[in-house]
Amino acid sequence: MEPSDEELCKRIAARDADAFELMVDRHQARAYRLASSILGNEADARDVSQDAFIRLYESAGRFDGRSRFSTWFYRILVNLCIDHQRRNRWWRRLAPLKTPGGDDADEHAFDPPSSEAGPEGEAMLKQSIRRLRPALDKLSSQQRAAVLLQTQEGFTSREIGEVLKCSEATARVHVHRGIAQLRKLLQND
Amino acid sequence: MAAIHPETEIVPYLRGELSADERARIGAHLDGCAQCRATADASSAILSSLASVVDDVRDPDWATYRAELRRKLHDAQESRGRVSARWPVFGWPSMAMGAAAVAVLAIAIVMHRGAGSVPAPGVDQLELQQELSSTDVGLLANYHVVEHLDLLENYDVIEHLDELGPGDRQNHATQS
Repeated sequence: MEPSDEELCKRIAARDADAFELMVDRHQARAYRLASSILGNEADARDVSQDAFIRLYESAGRFDGRSRFSTWFYRILVNLCIDHQRRNRWWRRLAPLKTPGGDDADEHAFDPPSSEAGPEGEAMLKQSIRRLRPALDKLSSQQRAAVLLQTQEGFTSREIGEVLKCSEATARVHVHRGIAQLRKLLQND
Repeated sequence: MAAIHPETEIVPYLRGELSADERARIGAHLDGCAQCRATADASSAILSSLASVVDDVRDPDWATYRAELRRKLHDAQESRGRVSARWPVFGWPSMAMGAAAVAVLAIAIVMHRGAGSVPAPGVDQLELQQELSSTDVGLLANYHVVEHLDLLENYDVIEHLDELGPGDRQNHATQS
C-alpha cells in the first residue's frame, strides 16, 4: 500500500531521501502547474516550485498534521509565488509578460466554449484560455491564488482560507472579487 | 426580490460547497433574482475555462527538473552547514540576542542625550514643521477609504491608495 502524504512527511522530517523523492514524484506536476498558472511564466514556475520542495524538505518536521498535507504544502508554494511576484513587481511593470497567445488575442466578447464541441470548439477554448491568461495576470496575487486553488486544485473556501491564512469568508470574497474582476477585464477586452 | 445579493456565496453554491440550508436559500434567491442568475451563469463559464488553463501549461523535462532540484537542495544544505560551522557557538538565537542588546544600548544613548536640554525650535524649523504638518493633513483625504478597509482583502487598494481618484475613493467608501 502506498504511504500517505502525511506518513511520507514524517519520514522526510527524519531525513529519509527516498520518502522525499516519492513526495516530489507525487506532487511535482501539480505544484509546477499551479505555480505556472499563478506566475504566468514557466521558468519562474520551475524555480519557485523547486524552492517549495526545498522548504518542504527543511521544514517537514513542523507539519503538525492538523490540516491536510496538501493544504500545508500549497501554503508554502502559494506564499513563495506571492513573494516572488511582489519582489518582481517593479520589473514586471517595465517589461510586461508575453503570453502564449501573443498579441493576437482576439477582440471579441468573452464566451467560453465547451471543450466537447469538437475540433472547432477546442480551438475556441484555446483562444479563450489565451485571453484568460493576461486577465489573470491583472488580479491581485491573493485573488489569483484563491481562484486558481479553487478551480485547479478543487480546494474549498475553508482550505483556501488555510492556505492564504485568512477566514473562510475572506477566501470567498477573494474568489468572488477575482471572478468579478476577470469578467470585467474580459468584457472590456 | 431581496435587496441583499449573496454575491460571495454564488461560487460556493455552484461548486456544491454549501450546506443544504444555505443551498436552498441561495437557490431560492437565484430563482427570483435575474441579476444573480446572470452572475452565476457568467461565473460558471469563467470557472470552467479557468479549469482548462492548467491543461495549457507545458510540462518541463522532469529529469532535468529533478536534477536541478537535487543540486539546489544540496547547495542549500551545504550553505546551511557552512553557516553553522562558521558560528559553532554563536548560533542564530545568540546573534539575535546580541543584535537586541545593541539596539537597547543605542536607544538608551539616544534617550540619555534627548533627556538633557531640548532647544526651542527656531523660526525656520517651525516653518518646516508647519509645512510637513500640512502635508500629513493631505493624507487624511484618504481616511474615509482607509477606515473601511479590511487589511487582508484590500492589500492592493492600500498599496495603490495614492493612485485613487476622487470617484474611486467614493466608491470604495460606499462599497465597504
